[in-house]
Amino acid sequence: MARNKFDVDESLESPFDAGHLKRVIHYIGRHKWKMLLALLLSGIASVIGLLSPKITETVINDIVPAGDAPRLLVMMAAYLGIICISIVFTVVRSRMMAHVSQDIIYDIRKDLFAHLQRLPFSYYDSRPAGKILVRVINYVNSVSDILSNGIINSIIEIINVIFIVIFMYVTEPTLATIIVAGLPVFLAIIVFIKPRQRKAWQNQSNKNSNYNAYIAESIDGVRVSQLFARQEVNCSIMQRLASACRAAWMKAIYVSNTVWLSSSLITQIVFTLMYIAAVFWLGDKSAAYGLPGQAIAFGTILAMGQYLNRFWQPITNLANIYNSFVNNLAYLERIFETMDEPVVVDDKEGATELPAITGEVDFDNVVFGYEEGQTVLENFNLHVKAGESIALVGPTGAGKSTVVNLLCRFYNLRSGRILLTDEQGAKHDITDVTIHSLRTQLGIMLQDSFIFTGTLLDNIRYGRLDATDEEVREAARIVRADDFIREMPQQYETSVNERGSSLSQGQRQLVAFARTLLSDPRILILDEATSSIDTKTEKLLQDGIQAMLKGRTSFIIAHRLSTIKNCDRILYIGNRGIMEAGSHDELMARKGPYYDLYTAQARDQGVNI
Amino acid sequence: MENIKWLWGLMDKKYHKWHIIALCISAITSLMLLINPTLTSTMVDKVFPTAPGAVPQFDLLIPILLAMLAIRILREGMRYFMIVCMEKSSQNVIYNLRVRLFTRLQYQDTRFFDRNRTGDLMTRMSADTDWCRHFLSYIDFQAIDSVVMFLSTSIYLFWVNWQLALALVLVTPILMLITKIYSKGVRKLFMGMRERQSEMNAAAQENIAANRVIKAFAREEHEKESFDGKSDAFRNAHLSINKRWLTFFPFIEILANAMTLITLFFGGFLLIQTNMGGESIWAPLTLGQLQIFTSLSWALSVPMRQLGNLLNDWQRFITCSNKVMELEMSRADIVDAPDAQSRGKVKGGIEFRNVSFAHDKQDVLTDVSFKVEPGQTLAIMGPTGSGKTTIIQLLSRCYEVKSGAILVDGCDVRRWKLQELRDGIGTATQDVFLFSDTVEGNIAFGDQSLTEDEVKDFAYRAAAGDFITHLSDGYDTIVGERGVGLSGGQKQRIALARALAVKPGILVMDDTTSAVDMETEQFIQQQLRQLPYDCTKVIIAQRISSVKDADQILILQDGRIAERGTHEELLRNRGYYWETYCLQNGIDATKEAM
Repeated sequence: MARNKFDVDESLESPFDAGHLKRVIHYIGRHKWKMLLALLLSGIASVIGLLSPKITETVINDIVPAGDAPRLLVMMAAYLGIICISIVFTVVRSRMMAHVSQDIIYDIRKDLFAHLQRLPFSYYDSRPAGKILVRVINYVNSVSDILSNGIINSIIEIINVIFIVIFMYVTEPTLATIIVAGLPVFLAIIVFIKPRQRKAWQNQSNKNSNYNAYIAESIDGVRVSQLFARQEVNCSIMQRLASACRAAWMKAIYVSNTVWLSSSLITQIVFTLMYIAAVFWLGDKSAAYGLPGQAIAFGTILAMGQYLNRFWQPITNLANIYNSFVNNLAYLERIFETMDEPVVVDDKEGATELPAITGEVDFDNVVFGYEEGQTVLENFNLHVKAGESIALVGPTGAGKSTVVNLLCRFYNLRSGRILLTDEQGAKHDITDVTIHSLRTQLGIMLQDSFIFTGTLLDNIRYGRLDATDEEVREAARIVRADDFIREMPQQYETSVNERGSSLSQGQRQLVAFARTLLSDPRILILDEATSSIDTKTEKLLQDGIQAMLKGRTSFIIAHRLSTIKNCDRILYIGNRGIMEAGSHDELMARKGPYYDLYTAQARDQGVNI
Repeated sequence: MENIKWLWGLMDKKYHKWHIIALCISAITSLMLLINPTLTSTMVDKVFPTAPGAVPQFDLLIPILLAMLAIRILREGMRYFMIVCMEKSSQNVIYNLRVRLFTRLQYQDTRFFDRNRTGDLMTRMSADTDWCRHFLSYIDFQAIDSVVMFLSTSIYLFWVNWQLALALVLVTPILMLITKIYSKGVRKLFMGMRERQSEMNAAAQENIAANRVIKAFAREEHEKESFDGKSDAFRNAHLSINKRWLTFFPFIEILANAMTLITLFFGGFLLIQTNMGGESIWAPLTLGQLQIFTSLSWALSVPMRQLGNLLNDWQRFITCSNKVMELEMSRADIVDAPDAQSRGKVKGGIEFRNVSFAHDKQDVLTDVSFKVEPGQTLAIMGPTGSGKTTIIQLLSRCYEVKSGAILVDGCDVRRWKLQELRDGIGTATQDVFLFSDTVEGNIAFGDQSLTEDEVKDFAYRAAAGDFITHLSDGYDTIVGERGVGLSGGQKQRIALARALAVKPGILVMDDTTSAVDMETEQFIQQQLRQLPYDCTKVIIAQRISSVKDADQILILQDGRIAERGTHEELLRNRGYYWETYCLQNGIDATKEAM
């Protein structure tokens, strides 16, 4: 599995294509009525806006020369009216579009997050968390405006352009052609700049993502960095990443800003050419003045001069919108790429709910490897009776955790089946049932005990969200977590967090243990669950859960053999699968690898057997 | 203003000049914006006169057009140059800021990280800093543009007709008042939005970190619901700002439009007065002058609208920069003492003298004293939460003692240079954190100069060599963050190799072999006895096998040393150690005690 490091750019698999466009339409489509209404409002507002120059004209040309004060007041009122109407329209549109753009953000983020929940471990294992994080938070924020207001504004501008082109051609086709002729030149420039611009922004988003990944990891790992006095090295790595961000940004700036620069210069050049053509080419100088019928009239030239600006202004605006679209495209691509990430472990088509199970488990010729060409389990067979307690021992890396990970369907098997028996005696392949119904009946306690930000009560209740406070306390009592929790300043209401040092490692394990227990699973899986807990607490804890384990199937992985001595069946897992199986006494009698392990351990403790 | 001064101070000296030049260019170019319209009207008057009998001066056409083209080219060229200057100087600030913030974080106290969530710190390091950049590369020159344009136009108009100009400028105080009222209420909203963003960030970050637990408990729906709730709160925060803005927007818009309105109607009134002739208090106004006013009223209303928009950006900048400043100003409490002297390498002597320590008023350690000679092995055992890890955290000075003193090589840790102290202590932490780097990079984490052979040697000593060579790319395999993809025991062994590799004077192993099988542990212990350098070893463990050979074993209970001695002494003692011993070996302690 190729893993990504903080300083490696993520290559983009797929370019922006029709599929992306369809997605964009999907997100925008939900708001089409609001957006159409906004468009309509803007249209009406700009038509009304055309009235105000008329008022200005009337005031200056007619009313003032006539000294007509009462009509001046009427006009003033009319003007005020226009302003008020256009303000109301603007407010309504702005409010509506704020909702639209925030809803788009919300929807994209929701879908992205939901997809992330379905992605397998391997997705998270193969890239720094910071790179996932920026997509959910920063990138989504960036794209909303371009998808809402950007689209409406471009439609308005396009309509503006069309109208003004018609106006120009009606007024004077030759000059109109000169004005419009600037457009292909501008488009040629855009076509030339675009790939460079796109690359520059993609590069910038990559560098930014690397920077974020490194920052996130450095914050999480700061304790280790400090213990190893590595701060200076880290700072220099970070400086390298920040420099790369800066360089990428500047490059994007150099390229992007040429867009408005060229549109502005082209406008001015076209302006110059148009006047020159109007005077020296179309209009014979004297004829222009003397014989209005044959040559071009001044009024027409001046009008065209104004139209020119009203043609190029929307073009420039469009260029700016386009600019930020290309800029944000780099983000949008990343978001969609994540949404396209395949869900490897997923419910089968027509997967059913797993009925209540008994705890009977069959591993049937299971073959599995984490990576291509590597096999961890080869034809693994195991039958576990309901209520049986199974211990897995053996050297690290032999596949003990793999066995339980497969049972939870954290990974797909390469071949073979794992079957669970329900209370009616029917056997279910774990791939035929929904993952949710499978995992809620299993209780797995992982090697890393994760503590969520929140109170201790919340943390334990994570195992069963509808558990009462009393049930939470009961679970804590069984695993002996209650003792230390009650000594904490706010007891069960004490706030804890992911990294906080208010809990020791052993205490974290106890909390995680209580959480697992609370979930009331049919099958309990303990993967090195008590490695950091002292022996005495562990003993008490075991006495406590003994009663709970009755009737439940359990899988226990532990290195401290005293922990597993009492299990019904102990499996010694070596590099070639199950090397031997049996109760403690049976295995001791066989004098196989388990015997060696046990005696070595005992000898090491200075005990004579 | 304080925020701006702070940002300014973060800029390198050489960029100060460029930034100021850019701001001047911004002012000049916004004045230049007024030239071409003036030239256009000259052209209209001279080249295309409409008055009857006027002679068009066609020979002026080309000079005027060329002048306009030249001015446009000059202006846009200057503008491009200005943007580059702005971006360069703001990138310089952001770079410096990021480096500063990162350095602050790197040296911050452990306590600081106990309190602050990664998600929040991330928000400060990314989104918040970005608003500081936005201020320097956009808000400031836009503000200058607007102010310059407004002021220069006003001055010109005063010169044309002071009464009409005054009427226009009178709007400004109203604008300021509105601005003030708006700013007052909206600050809180921006702060709220900033908080919502940070919460959302923290929630997503935690979700990613906890992805295994979430899957194990099949809590995806619950997570989605809770995240969507945060996302919804963020949306609402945005919308409430928008709502507030829209209640003020009409006022600003009316004021902006008032420019045209006043020009037309007060100007029209003045013109009528002038035309009526006679003595009056009203300043005379001609039609031509009125036309100047109408043609320039945009140069007053555009800046006003723009200032309205900038107001929001400004508020957001203040909110974000406050958060960044707070982080930038934060100082670690645990730093080198001013008179700390370089003492060279740590030799390995440790002494705790009546050390007490409390966490949030909760006593963790009380009156702990012990002494370890260089080269000896100290083992610490005790129930969960008894303060074992705290002892080694205090040794590395991650926290300060409440009372008492910790001496390393006879010198108080507070008088050591932190860097030297921590360089001299190699810790294999209990909660293994690996970096998303190659296995080799992780082992050589504390000492970049390590050769490949040395890395392999230390990996071998930590019993990690075997499995590493079996990884897909051997030592070049990239392990995920926190070492995901490796088993607990494998991670522990890499962490141990990492600690061994710094060749420390004191080697600390905090429950380092808990997830390692017995055979491997035995191998590791054997290796530890024949390390290629001398060091004091501090071992925290739950297994008797891990601690029994130590020169001194401390039993910690409720933050106090309950028992101490060698394996034999402690067994005779019939206390906690003995009980643990019995439990781990299946001996019935009650019977033995008889």
